[in-house]
Amino acid sequence: MIYPEPRYLPGGDRYMLVEFGNEMNLELNFMAQGLAAAILEARIAGVIETAPCFASMLVHYEPEIIGFDDLRAELSRLVAGLGPSDALELESRLFYLPAVYLDPWTRACVEDYQAKIAPKTADWDYMVELNGLRDTNDFVRVHSGTEYWVASLGFWPGLPFMMALDPRAKMTAPKYNPPRTWTPGGAIGLGGASTAIYPEQLPGGYQIFARTPVPIWDRAQRFAAFAGSICLFRPGDRVRFVPCSVEEFETIEREVADGTYQYNMVGYGKFSVALYKAWTASLGARRTS
Amino acid sequence: MTLEIIKPGLETSVQDWPGRYGFWNQGFPPSGPMDSWSFRLANLLVGNVVGAPALECQYIGPTLRFGAETVFAVTGADMLPTLDGAPVPLWQSVTAQPGQVLAMSFAKLGARAYLALAGGIDVEPWLGSRATFHKAGIGGVGGHALKPGQQVPLGVPAATAKAGLIVEEAARPVISTDRRWEIEVVAGPNDDWIDGEGHARFLSADWKLSGKSDRTGFRLDGPDWTFTEKALHKAPEHGSLPSNIIDQGYPLGAINLAGQTPIILVNDGPSMGGFINPYTVPQAAFWKLGQSKPGETYRFKAVSVAESQAMARSLAALCTDASILSSIV
Repeated sequence: MIYPEPRYLPGGDRYMLVEFGNEMNLELNFMAQGLAAAILEARIAGVIETAPCFASMLVHYEPEIIGFDDLRAELSRLVAGLGPSDALELESRLFYLPAVYLDPWTRACVEDYQAKIAPKTADWDYMVELNGLRDTNDFVRVHSGTEYWVASLGFWPGLPFMMALDPRAKMTAPKYNPPRTWTPGGAIGLGGASTAIYPEQLPGGYQIFARTPVPIWDRAQRFAAFAGSICLFRPGDRVRFVPCSVEEFETIEREVADGTYQYNMVGYGKFSVALYKAWTASLGARRTS
Repeated sequence: MTLEIIKPGLETSVQDWPGRYGFWNQGFPPSGPMDSWSFRLANLLVGNVVGAPALECQYIGPTLRFGAETVFAVTGADMLPTLDGAPVPLWQSVTAQPGQVLAMSFAKLGARAYLALAGGIDVEPWLGSRATFHKAGIGGVGGHALKPGQQVPLGVPAATAKAGLIVEEAARPVISTDRRWEIEVVAGPNDDWIDGEGHARFLSADWKLSGKSDRTGFRLDGPDWTFTEKALHKAPEHGSLPSNIIDQGYPLGAINLAGQTPIILVNDGPSMGGFINPYTVPQAAFWKLGQSKPGETYRFKAVSVAESQAMARSLAALCTDASILSSIV
């Protein structure tokens, strides 16, 4: 459910968790991001930073500047000012990321897991089976056929947790048990209902089925798209995967290495929750594959 | 002006305080010293601002050679420091001559020593901080703990930096000698997922600090937890375990319940995840975490939000020049 009033919960002496509801629902994340943007705009003295997540948002504050009760009062005032989530218009950049689906690198990783850790159905076949799809081509079409919403970042710095914005592309899968000891950097995976990109070679638990050559980490800060950070994404960004070939992957990899790669980012759009909800309502029926 | 690392110790890293703020929503933790009390005082002793970059030495300290005359101070854990073989007092500023070697050994008392150098450590800031975040390889010297043979660049000392300053006895943290610690906790954010017996058990049990602990999390061994209806009967998207919740942001210091194992999320901890946090250790109690060793015992004591904030205020008041005395009477 979505709570009629958010809950304001203490996290020690300098954090507050604002909980909007207790379900996995994009609307709750829109509310969390809407409040984060409102806090930034209101420049509340003593708020150090915010971290929106799926159904809640964490606020880090300096108690010598603003106390818990005053912060709660300020936030409920902002929440009241935001009105219903329909009124939200969120800054939202759109990134196009080339990706090889059913690629040789994640395939090698899955085979390594099958050989050394535990037998399992290959991830892309498992996705087909779990989500009632015709075959892997159908899976690739569905997975790459939607924009993804960056709901939150974590687990590893810069790792985006993304939700499919097109309800017809919504897929689910359980996580690996036991988890993988390694995942290729740039691998794209799905666990629960969220899609993630592994910024580097990392352990992991999501079903993996594609890989992008485009770094979402830039330690050397060589690319302007990172806007002063080390990681590419911020909450509220959108991502679209553009299927490409292994040859294109390798070409882009070379461009990345020599610093000439141009990130394909669209920065002129705002995300209207009202228009989004009207559109999803108009779709009515579920995926028709 | 540099320091040459002869032996790096177990895990010696550059930290600053309060660390890397402002990037929690991209998953970057603050990092910084685990015992910021000892850290801040070390900086004051050498004429630096409290947050200046200095070295955190974990369990076994480094051996290093001074390239120039340098005022330094060691605080926190007692790693029996010596300068060219002569014992160096803790909680005091000392001058090293060019070529002199500071050697630190295994921590006899406490777990983390702090070595501050007049002028601080002059490395590039990453996302506004020089604190080392080992896991992602950023900050400090090359993103990781110090390595043998490295030259660590020092900044320009304040004109006031001098030997012979000492931290007033009453302003120093008292490191437990009986291997037991009382750690303050604030209930929440997810305290309503634990039942009354679960809370009583948490606050009355002995919790042992596991060896599987590092700067991302401190694992605790102790009794099982019991839960309220909210944890036991919930929508499937929360996950299958009673302690699972829809992924949420984690406060630093959260006592994160991974299944039945509580893990205190410390300076390099994760920003989010799918487990509940029934309690949170406030910042002013972090120094105790920083000075405890695996195998030692924690007892938790509940305090209110206001009390935890008053603790931080008292600590900040101790970490000022008022606590620094001249040892020469």
